[in-house]
Amino acid sequence: MLKNFYEQMRKSSEEEFQRRPRAWLMYTIQLTSTLLKAFEEDAKVVWTTYYSFPMELLAAFNVVPFDFEIACNLLPGADPKCSVDIMTKAEARGYSLDLCSFHRLALGSYFQGYFPRADLLLSTSHFCDGKTKTNQILAQYYGKEAIMLDIPNELSKESVAYVSGQLQTIACKLEEVSAHKLDFDRLRECVRASNRARIAYGRLGELFKTKPFPWDGARLCNLSIIGNMFAGTPFQEQLYLKIIEECEQRMAEGTVLPEEFRILWLAWFPAQRTNINEIFRKNKVSIVMSELARVYWDELDEANPFEGMALRCLKNPYVGPIEQRLNGVNRLLDQYAVDGAIHFSTTACRHANASFRLIKDAVAKRDIPFLVLDGDMSDERSYSVEKTRFLLESFIELMAARK
Amino acid sequence: MKNARYRIGWLCSFVPEEIVMAAGLLPLRLSGQGEAATVADAYIYSNLCPYVRSILALGINGKANGLDGLVFVRSCDGMRRMYDLWRSYVGTRFTYMLEVPKNRDGTAMEYYASQLRKFASALEQEFGVKITTASLNQAVKTANQVRKLMQQIYKLQRGVPLPLPGSEVFQLGLEGMRMDKESFVAKLKKYYSKAKSQVKQRGGKGKVRVLISGNVVDRPELFNLIEAAGADVAAADLCTAMRYFDYPVEENSDDPYLALAQRYLGKLRCARITGLAEHFAELKELVKTYAVDGVVYTSVKFCDQHLYDAPYLMEKLKDDRIPVLFLENDYTWGNIGQLKTRVEAFVEMLDSGRR
Repeated sequence: MLKNFYEQMRKSSEEEFQRRPRAWLMYTIQLTSTLLKAFEEDAKVVWTTYYSFPMELLAAFNVVPFDFEIACNLLPGADPKCSVDIMTKAEARGYSLDLCSFHRLALGSYFQGYFPRADLLLSTSHFCDGKTKTNQILAQYYGKEAIMLDIPNELSKESVAYVSGQLQTIACKLEEVSAHKLDFDRLRECVRASNRARIAYGRLGELFKTKPFPWDGARLCNLSIIGNMFAGTPFQEQLYLKIIEECEQRMAEGTVLPEEFRILWLAWFPAQRTNINEIFRKNKVSIVMSELARVYWDELDEANPFEGMALRCLKNPYVGPIEQRLNGVNRLLDQYAVDGAIHFSTTACRHANASFRLIKDAVAKRDIPFLVLDGDMSDERSYSVEKTRFLLESFIELMAARK
Repeated sequence: MKNARYRIGWLCSFVPEEIVMAAGLLPLRLSGQGEAATVADAYIYSNLCPYVRSILALGINGKANGLDGLVFVRSCDGMRRMYDLWRSYVGTRFTYMLEVPKNRDGTAMEYYASQLRKFASALEQEFGVKITTASLNQAVKTANQVRKLMQQIYKLQRGVPLPLPGSEVFQLGLEGMRMDKESFVAKLKKYYSKAKSQVKQRGGKGKVRVLISGNVVDRPELFNLIEAAGADVAAADLCTAMRYFDYPVEENSDDPYLALAQRYLGKLRCARITGLAEHFAELKELVKTYAVDGVVYTSVKFCDQHLYDAPYLMEKLKDDRIPVLFLENDYTWGNIGQLKTRVEAFVEMLDSGRR
């Protein structure tokens, strides 16, 4: 079922691309092609976390990366009813409604037999407990090994060595799975590609400071999560450069949408269908930056790629004491001249939600309106269209009053 | 550390009290019991771990003021964010986040040992004390005495019929987490000697035997409920019970920090440590060792670590024909009335299975 869905998605994107060769279509084609490769019989499929695992390491091997969260959560935007049906299959097996809908959808997809094979299941402790737990559960069902890349909360030479050591162990596992020794030259090339993409990503971030904002805020949020899946491949840089080209073209042609209010988006953007974009468009609100779209890491050291990848993991805004996240938020508030900040709190995202008060207080110090918007990433049963409309329209009124 | 000048609170059984004791400080487990968590709503979502919420409420209400320090662990998402909230809105003279790996291989052990050394240095710096290899080895011996005595008591509990009420053993253990270890050792010695004589006096087939497994339980309500339903609680695989007392630390080690790391990471597995299959194997071993008829698996609400594991573990237990009952609780056990019928039915089912 998922396979058919990706095939249709790729086909329609390819057809559309023939007519309008846009960056977003390039991205969709690449994403769906990667997901479809995982269903090929001879593929060596390594399950991972696209948005936080050092993908350069996987790019250095002949393996297909597959992320069950991203793979499943393309569905709620296209078919919310079907997604809920799949979630109920996990709920019927005892997975509580209090758990993240991303993971209920993934577990339900497994129970329905929608997933491809798994040769190795990797996850990271970066973001949430739920992802690593789901990974372990699925590994049990597949009878394959699950490895968690454990990222400590502190940055020190010991933690860098610890994470770097784990990455080297994972590299050995990847050698077994792919039946190829790690080629260091190839890894260095992947790191170079990643560094080039980092520069392009930084340029994109600079472009987003332009008023009015020249791109699409929801896509920006999406890209900040899934863009990392291409790290280590030339495609990542190509994608960012193409987006830059499109933005510059729009600016030159004067076809950028009008803008009254500029928003900094915090935490996640819902994968399911919502009325957020509609409300924003109607009220000329742009999401101009997302906290995860910031280049928070240094260039990876080609001579010492494991350490470089470890450092990036440890500098992630969701790792470490809250200051690591708040520093990033404050920097973006400084740089993007926003009229307000919105924290989207998906019900079960404990690590992000548990910081709402600290972020609220930090934003309040700058006298910038702040909204905690409760909702759900994928489960339409936990999303209220009218409540969202009421909250967002009230927030827009507040921003207007402050102008 | 009966006469310790400073009191250091801790929240997770991965905090080696030995280091605190070696510094001449008094380690005390902080419980959020009796604290209405509603005051925490202004700081944290209501769908977050009620243990975390209760502790935060305790701090906000000024009821942790007697502590000179509080040690957090990266146990879970809720706890690491509580560390941030505590520093920002409560504050203690010494607020420390101890890094504990979630894996338990050699690299993890070494990293954990390095973090324990850092923790010791931080205590030394803050309280102007010195932790020596000798003082640490002495603290290890004292803590091991507690473990040894508690294990002896738990060993008695393998007997049929159950010699001691499970609720009593559980409460005894809780007490030990909140008092100095020397006094607790003295208390345990007396208790154990009395308990041994009771074993000889009892006979018969005994009642239905239950293992409680789960996370943080700070009150005896569940134990009382099971006992009132006519069953015995033979063992408790909880953060606040066996996972605190099991396995000794290697004594007189040249590297006591590594010895501590090995014991703490190697102890009975809690859900935060990777290895679901190993967790199930350990659970099964406990079922066998304590000859229990069934398992009550309990978790505080919104504990992702346990709520994700529960369906898989229950499925595996059932595959092995081990009856299991899953009970979610709100940490205060305010919902105990609602659980009564389910517990009674479970005990009745276990009882009929024996006949």
